[in-house]
Amino acid sequence: MLSSMVAAGSVKAALQVAEVLEAIVSCCVGPEGRQVLCTKPTGEVLLSRNGGRLLEALHLEHPIARMIVDCVSSHLKKTGDGAKTFIIFLCHLLRGLHAITDSEKDPLMCENIQTHGRHWKNCSQWKCISQALLTFQTQILDGIMDQYLSRHFLSIFSSAKEKTLCRSSLELLLEAYFCGRVGRNNHKFISQLMCDYFFKCMTCESGIGVFELVDDYFVELNVGVTGLPVSDSRIIAGLVLQKDFSVYCPADGDIRMVIVTETVQPLFSTSGSEFILNSEAQFQTSQFWIMEKTQAIMKHLHSQNVKLLISSVKQPDLVIYYAGVNGISVVECLSSEEVSLIRRIIGLSPFVPPQAFSQCEIPNTALVKFCKPLILRSKRYVHLGLISTCAFIPHSIVLCGPLQGLIEQHEDALHGAFKMLRQLFKDLDLSYITQTNDQNGTSSLFIYKNSGESYQAPDTGNGSIQRPYQDTVVENKDELEKTQTYLKVHSNLVISDVELETYIPYSTPTLTPTDTFQTVETLTCLSLERNRLTDYYEPLLKNNSTAYSTRGNRIEISYENLQVTNITGKGSMLPVSCKLQNMGTSQSYLSSSMPAGCVLPVGGNFEILLHYYLLNYAKKCHQPEETMVSMIIANALLGIPKVLYKSKTGKYSFPHTYIRAVHALQTNQPLVSSQTGLESVTGKYQLLTSVLQCLTKILTIDVVITVKRDPQKVHNQDSEDEL
Amino acid sequence: MSRLEAKKPSLCKSEPLTTERVRTTLSVFKRIVTSCYGPSGRLKQLHNGFGGYVCTTSQSSALLSHLLVTHPILKILTTSIQNHVSSFSDCGLFTAILCCNLIENVQRLDLTPTTVIRLNKHLLSLCISYLKSETCGCRIPVDFGSTQILLCFVRSVLTSKPACMLTRKETEHVSALILRAFLLTIPENAEGHIILGKSLIVPLKGQRVIDSTVLPGILIEMSEVQLMRLLPIKKSTALKVALFCTTLSGDISDTGEGTVVVSYGVSLENAALDQLLNLGRQLISDHVDLVLCQKVIHPSLKQFLNMHRIIAIDRIGVTLMEPLTKMTGTQPIGSLGSISPNSYGSVKDVCTAKFGSKHFFHLIPNEATICSLLLCNRNDTAWDELKLTCQTALHVLQLTLKEPWALLGGGCTETHLAAYIRHKTHNDPESILKDDECTQTELQLIAEAFCSALESVVGSLEHDGGEILTDMKYGHLWSVQADSPCVANWPDLLSQCGCGLYNSQEELNWSFLRSTRRPFVPQTCLPHEAVGSASNLTLDCLTAKLSGLQVAVETANLILDLSYVIEDKN
Repeated sequence: MLSSMVAAGSVKAALQVAEVLEAIVSCCVGPEGRQVLCTKPTGEVLLSRNGGRLLEALHLEHPIARMIVDCVSSHLKKTGDGAKTFIIFLCHLLRGLHAITDSEKDPLMCENIQTHGRHWKNCSQWKCISQALLTFQTQILDGIMDQYLSRHFLSIFSSAKEKTLCRSSLELLLEAYFCGRVGRNNHKFISQLMCDYFFKCMTCESGIGVFELVDDYFVELNVGVTGLPVSDSRIIAGLVLQKDFSVYCPADGDIRMVIVTETVQPLFSTSGSEFILNSEAQFQTSQFWIMEKTQAIMKHLHSQNVKLLISSVKQPDLVIYYAGVNGISVVECLSSEEVSLIRRIIGLSPFVPPQAFSQCEIPNTALVKFCKPLILRSKRYVHLGLISTCAFIPHSIVLCGPLQGLIEQHEDALHGAFKMLRQLFKDLDLSYITQTNDQNGTSSLFIYKNSGESYQAPDTGNGSIQRPYQDTVVENKDELEKTQTYLKVHSNLVISDVELETYIPYSTPTLTPTDTFQTVETLTCLSLERNRLTDYYEPLLKNNSTAYSTRGNRIEISYENLQVTNITGKGSMLPVSCKLQNMGTSQSYLSSSMPAGCVLPVGGNFEILLHYYLLNYAKKCHQPEETMVSMIIANALLGIPKVLYKSKTGKYSFPHTYIRAVHALQTNQPLVSSQTGLESVTGKYQLLTSVLQCLTKILTIDVVITVKRDPQKVHNQDSEDEL
Repeated sequence: MSRLEAKKPSLCKSEPLTTERVRTTLSVFKRIVTSCYGPSGRLKQLHNGFGGYVCTTSQSSALLSHLLVTHPILKILTTSIQNHVSSFSDCGLFTAILCCNLIENVQRLDLTPTTVIRLNKHLLSLCISYLKSETCGCRIPVDFGSTQILLCFVRSVLTSKPACMLTRKETEHVSALILRAFLLTIPENAEGHIILGKSLIVPLKGQRVIDSTVLPGILIEMSEVQLMRLLPIKKSTALKVALFCTTLSGDISDTGEGTVVVSYGVSLENAALDQLLNLGRQLISDHVDLVLCQKVIHPSLKQFLNMHRIIAIDRIGVTLMEPLTKMTGTQPIGSLGSISPNSYGSVKDVCTAKFGSKHFFHLIPNEATICSLLLCNRNDTAWDELKLTCQTALHVLQLTLKEPWALLGGGCTETHLAAYIRHKTHNDPESILKDDECTQTELQLIAEAFCSALESVVGSLEHDGGEILTDMKYGHLWSVQADSPCVANWPDLLSQCGCGLYNSQEELNWSFLRSTRRPFVPQTCLPHEAVGSASNLTLDCLTAKLSGLQVAVETANLILDLSYVIEDKN
């Protein structure tokens, strides 16, 4: 059986799939989100707001859906957050793409996308779009993050150099995180618990290593107790092992411990060897020898003050007995993870029973503060006060809840939070390509080889812009002067004859509005532009860039003014700009990095900011693919805050918030968020790239072939690109 | 290799609470639990229809463990109740009914789940802080110096389980036994950190309840023949005990991963037996009087020990090992040679005993925190129920030892609490709402739903068509029998409130629980003399009730918060 889909259809199909998934995840996204109940095949119930878990629990059959789920889970594995946002964002992106193909049917789509849509229909290849997406993700996104968004970032650290963290900012971050992950009556409590845990476990010099350790061994670091209210959850100093003592001898003072990975008692034969019994006496002597030897080992341990024996295997009765006689407590059958966690905390290698005895000290022992049984709801656990040799101070989390499903949810959320923090504490490398100038600065964007007569139209245009610009705030005077000089430079620019021909017809209409600058309406419009100018100016100064780059930007902005005043002209102007691009620019690769700990206030701030800057970028970029991709992504980004603000009304509704934010950006004021809480920029950035990669993957598929073969083989194939 | 099968897609349902099926399921469940509640609750018979075991019960733990629940939402509810019961033993039905009531009441209101959950949480913390506060009018201190209040406790537990089928006299007898068993587990000279001992319940079915008894020490059941073979020991001093956890049957233990080759003619069995007999000799030279083994003792060794007037008992089983270790003070021996002299323990005396048709070997301790409660009842089902009840009562006493407070039972705490919340939400709503986004109207609505949920819990104490009233001073519960004449003279019809603290001779105003009342301040701060004088109070465990309240509200919130159910169909 062969079922195939045409290229255009694959976006449609993917959209349908994504919309169904969106409907499910959007009910549990954000602070207003609700719980989803999943039943396991074993009949157990699980409560979840974790997008990844929900998607897996659905056991989807549709190949595209399965591909999406695969992408989500690989994203989650890395970051621990953002599965729901992933789906919503992907869905909006697909909607945007879908709308291009039949824009006639959709009156809501903005005009220029329509034009691009036609353009794209002509050379309609989804592959090209996916290529453009990939280009955007690898070459442009980082630049926007670095050049524009970065100035809005806050740092979670109170002092960036030492990466010290103050409790209140961590609380804000965690509260926002748990808002989306656990039930709404528990998120405050759980985030407090996590905060406590974090500060109890960290020493002042401990860095990212602690997150890695906690992330890797999270299962071993927490204990679930059913039947108690959630509020009974707490943090216990020391390590709690989910085992009972095989033998417990109360001890205090100088307690030493050893770890063993094999039975202490010598056995008749080891694997691969043969033991030949020739007489009964021989058997008895060897048994006697074994007994004596075991006793001697335990006595030796006792003499070295060892009072705790931790074993990864089951020890014979004999060992347990002699341990008890010698006052050594024994914990057996620990999992390899538990053993390796203990070894990492105290830096201890396993004890190997020596062949011959000397009274010398046993090298592999460690000091323990205490070792005692811990009773939680009538079940006994081993409680160890390990003395850490690394940056992690051992603490265990006891998670209580009325049912296992809820405890699992909290466990999951806490684990995710550590993953998120682990990412947040890393620097993020950004690399991108700028197309404005090259190193020696001989050719700027608007300088062309065939120098003929100076082109007048842009000059007048600039002149008219110059006027309102001069009226800007006094404090920017120095900059203004510079700008003026650049503008003058620009006015002396030369342009080829060929370009002149194409440019003149279009530039005339663009100049018409400049005549009406004196009217009130356009003045406000201009003041808006003006601010944007200063807006752009700032980072340039900050970046200490060369005059050339400043010039390049300046020119772009003036160009953009023209665009804004005459939107209708824009579409038709684009091919021109495209041409210019091809002729005039040279690329330069930049790389920078986003420092660890970058955060933004919650409530869609990241999305709105990126949306805003992407739109600005789209307006001045010169390749139709880029413009379109940027527009689509910018619009899709807004889908996330829209969902978040769904239940809000009035002043806090999405349109109000959006307008406020854009206005603040245009007037260069700080953004005011209606919600408290912070979120990691790294997480958002990674989410964005993961979604774009997933979308690229979807777009490159043109035919899905269902093969009737073993299911696991089908599973292997459907994620591959079948072309 | 296991067969791989493609996973079936799951079934996903939105807004599960609105469906008719869920509502009916929940209401059926509610009917089951409500009808079981209280001393006059109806019994449920659980059987599988193919013969076999039949369970007659009205206890939540037995009921829920036998019910087969398939609906995921109901599963949440039953699992959280079962988890609560397994940690606190008591207040399971209370939790179940309250949770059902809360869900039902809130569904009638047209409020968003966010508001409901937030306000429910506020009301819950209001209840908890009140019940824990000094001014609380429905809790009394428990004095472990007098048995009276402790007896009240045990009696309240016993009377609330009608499936035990006890007469009044039997109830008194069993209450006294339970209390004795509990007191025996408390170490005499406890300093600082108390470690309680253990009461072992020994079944003795088919006997009269009155024959039940408590003995210090441990009873090991044996056949009469075995018991006859044991020679009586006459010794004035304590007996020396050796307790083995390893097998004494002469098995060759773990020989390692390699191979062991035994030459022809070599008998390992003989070698092993030789070793055992050597061990026997060591025991004799150490003057051991009693050898106990968790596993099997080789018959030859057993006979050898008997010949030397040592009692050997094997197949003790793992459950008795811990109490035996504790009682005798031994170190369970895992070695077949060179036993450390510190490993031996002692008992005061041993004797044989016969109860009903069963024969026991009785180990009498020197100073014991281990005791055996021989529990008798007429038939299997009634015995099972009685055993569960005894365990509950013992657990309740232990919990009370940790937190020496008791709540007034018989429904008085619930009505009092409801009156307090009504009063608080009417007169001081700002303190509850604080900086929240909820309005006062929303608070009133939810508070009414919450209070009526509490009140309908106690409403379900009445199963015989009687009426339930509450007074307007203490906010306690009073019940009238069904056939009593209409509103004639309340003080004559009502004798005592639900918990037994107040009687109707006082000047009180009554109103029906179902009718609406204006909010009033229930009298807080109990007078101490009132508590002292009352001899026959109905009491509830504070710890268990607090947890039950929390679990009920948390679970209801959880269920109300569900927006989707994804059912795995694999």
